[in-house]
Amino acid sequence: MRAFIVRDFQLALSYRIQFLFRTLEILFFVTTLFFISKIFTGGAVTSYTQWSNPLAAWITGLAVLNYFMTGFSSFANAIRQEQAQGTLEGVLMTPVSIPTFIVSSSAYDFAQATVYSSLYLLFGWLFFDVRFQGNFLLAFLFLIITTLVLASVGILSASFAMVFKRGDPFAILLATTSTLFSGVFFPTQLLNEYGGQILGGISRFLPPTYGLDGIRRVLIQGQGFNEVRAPLFTLLLFLVTLMPFSFWVFSRAVRRAKREGSLIQY
Amino acid sequence: MAATSSPIISDETTSNAGATQAQGVAISIRELSKTYPVSLVRLKKLFRRKATHPVEALRDVTFDVREGEIFGLIGRNGAGKTTLTKIIATLVQPTSGAVMVGGFDSVQSEVEVRAQIGLATAEERSFYWRLTIEQNLTFFARLYGLPDTAARTRIGELLARLELETVARRRFGELSTGNKQRVAIARAMLSSPPVLLLDEPTRSLDPLAAAGTRALINSLARDADKPVTVLLTSHNLAEIEELCARVAVISRGQIRALDTPERLRSVNKSAERVRLTARGLSQERARTALRQVLNDFELTEDTGTLTVQFTRSVEDDALDHALRAVQAAGGRVVACDAERATLLDVLERYEREPKEGMDE
Repeated sequence: MRAFIVRDFQLALSYRIQFLFRTLEILFFVTTLFFISKIFTGGAVTSYTQWSNPLAAWITGLAVLNYFMTGFSSFANAIRQEQAQGTLEGVLMTPVSIPTFIVSSSAYDFAQATVYSSLYLLFGWLFFDVRFQGNFLLAFLFLIITTLVLASVGILSASFAMVFKRGDPFAILLATTSTLFSGVFFPTQLLNEYGGQILGGISRFLPPTYGLDGIRRVLIQGQGFNEVRAPLFTLLLFLVTLMPFSFWVFSRAVRRAKREGSLIQY
Repeated sequence: MAATSSPIISDETTSNAGATQAQGVAISIRELSKTYPVSLVRLKKLFRRKATHPVEALRDVTFDVREGEIFGLIGRNGAGKTTLTKIIATLVQPTSGAVMVGGFDSVQSEVEVRAQIGLATAEERSFYWRLTIEQNLTFFARLYGLPDTAARTRIGELLARLELETVARRRFGELSTGNKQRVAIARAMLSSPPVLLLDEPTRSLDPLAAAGTRALINSLARDADKPVTVLLTSHNLAEIEELCARVAVISRGQIRALDTPERLRSVNKSAERVRLTARGLSQERARTALRQVLNDFELTEDTGTLTVQFTRSVEDDALDHALRAVQAAGGRVVACDAERATLLDVLERYEREPKEGMDE
């Protein structure tokens, strides 16, 4: 694991300016959201309790979504990047197993996502007076479980990338649908009100909906464990279903790629 | 044609098919076959897309590589060399048959097999171009499980041995092709594996660097304490002849011949053209002397230098007799060349054979 983290850190250092630009991008984006939120000052609909301070809801949504997407996409990216660079053969010649390689290759992505996600919250707190409350450990539990659920989908995505050598449709589908249907920028109740049962129903099939809802309930509304049991158990249900299934699919994909001799092909 | 229809395989261990653990065997390959299946054939049929046919890359390959041996594998592009190397390296699964490395099965115990093997290919892209050589090697050393101190020592040794010290802190992408190839060899040797798989290790090296690499490969195999087994794949046949104790010729996925380079040459071409250059005797005297020992020869003279050319069977006495005859006539032999069969002749012979011959 350390070898991969050090390698990725060294590679990131060779693109120093990128970190600076990304930090500035987050700062500018949070600032933009702050000014947009001022349009709604005094006009927020009280029935959407998580959205009484839209800026807090947005930056929570973006920070968490950034983390979720890393959990989802980093495994497939690990395989695709090494295949594209041509380094997969060298790595797979070492006594490191393929699952260890994929998980370790993603470790730096998670560290980076933690930094960038924290920056959303930090800039909100530091410059725009956004205050969070509630049990941070409970919020962290939501973050971990949702990330694991998305990592399971990510393993499916990695299996796809390994066999088909293409960017996976799961990534595009989940990224697009999560932004629209999971309540990152607006309450999911609006989907029901304006889009009817069908549009509103889509959000219920997306794990990020429950993750975001749970984290906002804890950090913005200050709810405790008893009040957030429903989204928590739903996430656990996703996890126990998807995790074993994704491992099974992944082992089949590795076997297939080795049989076809396509494991190291780009 | 009869002489060319059956493979010439002189490998005493192949008859002992079950003895994969036999002492002195580093790599044991038994009845190995590989057919690449058509990817997503059912899906292609469903959408009525044209499906290609399965590709048979290897068929019934059986041989052993002994501990400390430099074993050469030659064949044309697409003959099956890379597939065979990748199966040994656990990167590709065989369709049937088995490969044992150091007693471990390449499918059942692939992590153990990889721990026994170092692979160096001529593929430049297998490193991180924005990292330095040291950073690249340190990364791979950690994957091999070397503790930091041991890794630093080993990397230092290898950089010195492969004359890479002066470029150790340069990014991989900035290196010359030859140096990149040397870094690949250094990586293969990082964990001091007992088996090295080298795919054209001198392809992009200048003549001096190539000679240095050959000397290195030789010294590894001759290390008295810990001899390294080398499976060498190369299109440089002179290099194969120079380094390898035994050579396998692979053609269309089958091992067509396996023997020492000398025996392969002699079996494949029993005659050689000899050219003697002599001074100090007239053309007439030379002709008279040579007629007594050679049935057929050509004699030419150019400004006092005589050239005699004749064909002889390898290892017969004609050359000895001709030399004695020239000397007895008062001549002085100043040069003697023999145009012997090369591994290229061997390779060409198996490539010329019709495909049907493979099945015999």
